[in-house]
Amino acid sequence: MMDGTIEALIAVTLVGSLVVMAGSDRYAAKLATAWSLIPLVGSLGMWATYDATGNALLGGDTAFTSRETWLGLGPLPDIEWFVGIDGISMPLVVLTTVLVTLALVSAWTPIDERQSQFYGLVLFLEAGLLGVFTALDFFVWFVFWEAVLVPMYFLIGVWGGPRRKYAAIKMFVYTNIASLVMFVGYTALVFGLGDAVSTFAMPETAEALVVENVQPDALAFVDAETLKVAAFTALFAGFAVKVPIVPVHTWLPDAHVEAPTPVSVLLAGVLLKMGTYALLRFNFTMLPDVARANMPIIAAFAVISIIYGAMLALAQTDLKRIVAYSSVSSMGYVILGLAAYTLYGVGGAAFQMVSHGLISGLMFMAVGVIYNTTHTRMVTDMSGMASKMPYTVGILIAGAFGYMGLPLMSGFAAEFYVFLGAFQAGAFDVANYNLMPAFTAVAMFGIVIVAGYLLLAMQRTLFGEFSLETDYEVGRAPLHDIAPLAVLLVLIIALGSQPDIFFEMIREASGPVADLVGGGA
Amino acid sequence: MAGELAFDIAPAIVALPFASFLAVLALGNYMPKKGASAGIAATAGSLVLSLFALVTVAGGSTYQQDLFTWSGAEEVPLHFGIFIDPLSAMMLVIVSLIALLVHVFSLGYMNDEGETGLPRYYSELGLFTFSMLAFVMADNLLMAFMFFELVGLCSYLLIGFWFREDGPASAAKKAFLVTRFGDYFFLIGTVGIVATFGTSRFVSTESHTAFPVLAEEALAEGGHGVTTFLGFGPEAWFSIIGLLVLGGVIGKSAQFPLHTWLPDAMEGPTPVSALIHAATMVAAGVYLVARMYGFYALLPTVLAIIALTGGFTALFAATMGVVKREIKQVLAYSTISQYGYMMLALGGGGYVAATFHLMTHAFFKALLFLGAGSVIIAMHHNEDMWDMGGLKNKMPVTYYTFLAGSLALAGIVPFAGFWSKDEVLYEVLVHGLGSAGTTGTILLVAYAMGLVAVLFTGFYTFRMVFLTFHGEPRTETARDPEPVRWNVKLPLVVLGALATVAGVVNMVPVEKVLGIKGIDYLHQFLDPETELVSNLTAHHYEEVLHDVSGYTADATAFGSESTTVLISAGLSLGLALVGVGLAYALYGRSPTPEEHTDKLGGLKTLWYNNYYQDEYQVWLASGLTLPLAKLADRFDQGIIDGAVNGVGRTSLTGGSYVKRIQTGIVTNYAALLALGLVALLLIVGVTGGWFA
Amino acid sequence: MAVDTSYYLILSAAVFCTGLFGILTRRNALLFLMSVELMLNAANINLVAFSQYYGNLTGQVFALFTMALAAAEVAVGIGIILVLYRNFEDVDVAEAATMRW
Repeated sequence: MMDGTIEALIAVTLVGSLVVMAGSDRYAAKLATAWSLIPLVGSLGMWATYDATGNALLGGDTAFTSRETWLGLGPLPDIEWFVGIDGISMPLVVLTTVLVTLALVSAWTPIDERQSQFYGLVLFLEAGLLGVFTALDFFVWFVFWEAVLVPMYFLIGVWGGPRRKYAAIKMFVYTNIASLVMFVGYTALVFGLGDAVSTFAMPETAEALVVENVQPDALAFVDAETLKVAAFTALFAGFAVKVPIVPVHTWLPDAHVEAPTPVSVLLAGVLLKMGTYALLRFNFTMLPDVARANMPIIAAFAVISIIYGAMLALAQTDLKRIVAYSSVSSMGYVILGLAAYTLYGVGGAAFQMVSHGLISGLMFMAVGVIYNTTHTRMVTDMSGMASKMPYTVGILIAGAFGYMGLPLMSGFAAEFYVFLGAFQAGAFDVANYNLMPAFTAVAMFGIVIVAGYLLLAMQRTLFGEFSLETDYEVGRAPLHDIAPLAVLLVLIIALGSQPDIFFEMIREASGPVADLVGGGA
Repeated sequence: MAGELAFDIAPAIVALPFASFLAVLALGNYMPKKGASAGIAATAGSLVLSLFALVTVAGGSTYQQDLFTWSGAEEVPLHFGIFIDPLSAMMLVIVSLIALLVHVFSLGYMNDEGETGLPRYYSELGLFTFSMLAFVMADNLLMAFMFFELVGLCSYLLIGFWFREDGPASAAKKAFLVTRFGDYFFLIGTVGIVATFGTSRFVSTESHTAFPVLAEEALAEGGHGVTTFLGFGPEAWFSIIGLLVLGGVIGKSAQFPLHTWLPDAMEGPTPVSALIHAATMVAAGVYLVARMYGFYALLPTVLAIIALTGGFTALFAATMGVVKREIKQVLAYSTISQYGYMMLALGGGGYVAATFHLMTHAFFKALLFLGAGSVIIAMHHNEDMWDMGGLKNKMPVTYYTFLAGSLALAGIVPFAGFWSKDEVLYEVLVHGLGSAGTTGTILLVAYAMGLVAVLFTGFYTFRMVFLTFHGEPRTETARDPEPVRWNVKLPLVVLGALATVAGVVNMVPVEKVLGIKGIDYLHQFLDPETELVSNLTAHHYEEVLHDVSGYTADATAFGSESTTVLISAGLSLGLALVGVGLAYALYGRSPTPEEHTDKLGGLKTLWYNNYYQDEYQVWLASGLTLPLAKLADRFDQGIIDGAVNGVGRTSLTGGSYVKRIQTGIVTNYAALLALGLVALLLIVGVTGGWFA
Repeated sequence: MAVDTSYYLILSAAVFCTGLFGILTRRNALLFLMSVELMLNAANINLVAFSQYYGNLTGQVFALFTMALAAAEVAVGIGIILVLYRNFEDVDVAEAATMRW
């Protein structure tokens, strides 16, 4: 069964990547941006015609499904070309295409050498990301997962700042080791299931583990329960690096600081979501009993990420580092929501992925626009930027308030859902879950710290008398720098005033996951 | 009743300022008066519609309507809706009226003074008016929280209007942070209420029950039908939620200990101080408690805390107002103090009294701030009262209206503030006398604090009047002040009239002493008899307070009811007069008054430095949290990232040794390959038993 | 008459060892290449021998593939040797060790 839509989406992006790379530097920027409109329009069209229900892994329909056996491996599980979209992946696909186009526009000013390679690699990255969010066979998914790393490595390592090689290698090695751990964990789980599954397709595995409740065969040296816990741990550790969860987060600030603006936008906006998306798909959907038993540990990781990440952001003086650490903090909310296993918890986590993608994208872009003219990002080097760049600063302030969770912006909706869901989990008749409101209350203190560091940084850099340590002429940003900021802001407000734009389909897909523990709210 | 025209067009009350916000934001520079005219038109429209709604509500109708679904999950639907009952209708009129007057005043204060960035100013005012009106109309707690936060944003933006100076930028940050700290608790409370009751509606409709009603039923039935958390029983759990929501109230209404942002917020333009930091946004906290009073009335512990906080804040802030030099600082502390009275009333069972004081205070405090603004224009933006003096004859309109406001603030009969403050104290007194046990004692303690604060209020108010307007001019500017135009005087006159006569809506003492029935209009107004709001009426609250929380009003402790009324009114009026007299003795008689505050010695230092409240809060932020953050950063860079880099370095070092195997000579590789194969074969052979 | 398979295997092993010996002792790149070819052909002999033994053509087909591969490999190998000569003026494999670390 081949639908062809997703294949076309990925293929057109890949072709675009090659075309742009083969072309000249002079028109690479415009060509790549124009080309990226094709997947953008395509994904919007898919969204408009989206008609799936339920969770892809838990017996729900998927849209645009293609499924063919790709490699039969005899006694081993088959590898299938299996892609499809459900309510959790649809918003992420749209997020990817939207952010890539905007990031490409934001690259026009800062990227001034090797343009054709740069834009080509970004399109290649987009193809990989689309694959990650649509693949439903573990092997296909893993290929895309790894494929994303390659362009990312070059984008940071070639076009980055002074310590770009260090940052690129650190990111690549760190996340690659994590992938290895995760890969071992998943394959061990699938092989442990033995004859119960004959494919690497994720829905079958989830069904065997959750619906039919097949226990993995005891391998020679572990029993079934241990295997499940070990697989969960390996998967969790692997994805935790990508999210990132404290204490495996240190590659992120380095990568962000060195990466050029558009790459930071995509790194924070979409790449981090791969980690949480995978956690949701694998750990929390396939192994709910392990997650349930270890809820306090997972929630503690989430709370530590939120509070500790926010404290780190408070200590920074580089604007990009501030936003980078605050991403660590924001992704903690996703973990908290997942651990809650309520409709609002899981749905809120999925919603926060989209919302944080937009807001952090906006923040990185705005900081980048300021950097384009000042050539510094240090809080201590500038003040009074508001008088010189009123529009950029205005949007930056709006974005910062979005980050703080101002109502009617998407961040509030996401955080409120997560908090509500996590709180409701306190009513479960499951061991330890009665502690959930306490975890939630502590995690919520993040909203105070986030206001603290963003307001402090804004006061120092944007307000007061204008002064700048570097010798650059500061003027208003060109329209093509501001336009993507404005578009993001509009999206953030739209999503915040009417979250059901995405939240409705997210609810459809999250409900079955929430039902895995405690039977809903 | 749906179908009433006033209600059908009610959404326009909020839509008009929002439209003005958008229009001014986009096109402000091309609009007449840089957007002020759009703002004036919009707020005037809102005022007319609000008045229309008020009249309709007074005719005995109320209205609730879901507007749109914010998140339509079946378990917990979250929505936006409009709810217009007497309380919200009254507040709508107050907000739109003051917003309109402040817009007009801004013509004089901002446009005539040649400020830049006016479109920004007027669009932010529009956004504020929109958010505040939407907050007032909200029919559920979540929506209320959302607009509660949005008014906080507008407050931040407007305090920081002069962002090029350091003071406003810093004050804006502080205001947002401190209120955010309160909102943190409020958000937990909101989440808790939604999780507990499955709804956050204030008002029951045909298909949904309001959460205060659910709480009442749950308490009556011993906790059925609601989910409590963390192992608490319903009563304890409701109290916890109530206290959490109260956190937001304390932050926004500038109650102790989160009051420190309000004096700093005076860095903003004076019209903004009048609108946001005196009459409306600061009232949001008190309004919220009144809005969900059906819930708080069930919780005696929380009520006691509200009363104590209110009484303490009233006194505490009033003492600080005594020594300030800047006219706006005096008013700021006075605002904190007056909101303390409202909290005191709410905690003491005086729902109507609190609402009444909320209304009169909005009028006279906005008046005082605008009057101060007029003085500030005249003084070329010098706010130090010691540089003023003798302005009485130079600006008579400002003087007489300011005087009316001051008399109202001090609580002198028959100005509006007297009636409301008297009722606040009276209600707390009778409930304190009538209630048994600790409740009564706590209320009496809070009452005593509120009563002492009256003395201070009278004193600092008239110290301010005498220093500003009486005596000889003490500087060149004061001798020749800049004249103000109609756009400044008009709002002053309107508010001055209101501050003088607004008390007539609720002259309860007159009713009780003279026995004239039916002049307690506000009581009747807040006690409507429609089906929709049967759980939201003053007498219902009184019943709940009595039945659940053990609040009993005893008006006959000093003999007959009228004796009690007279004693209470006489006490507060007498103390106020003593305060005024003291101010006259110290500052009013001499044409060139001297600074008496130094005679207070250490007390002056303590008051002048606000009891060192700012110091410890600043220390908490920059002396404790920042170093902690730096420590975390060092830990992160040194230990966590150090471990990561350590792994990297170890592999590199190891690799630099192992790499020497790679000689680059192909023959060596081939030899190693061959040897490896042989070794492998040997191992497989030996273990596989080939040679056995 | 069919020859016993073991003879083919012994032949194959002998050819293989000759090739291996060449690789281990020679420094001339051309001889190297020849030795590699010898080892490949030893493998081919094996394939064909077993193919005959099992009466199955797969091995022979595979041997054909290997030959094609070997031809390609020789082409690349000669190319490398030519470049080697151009850069080092010699075809001694021990000389070309400049890219080791």
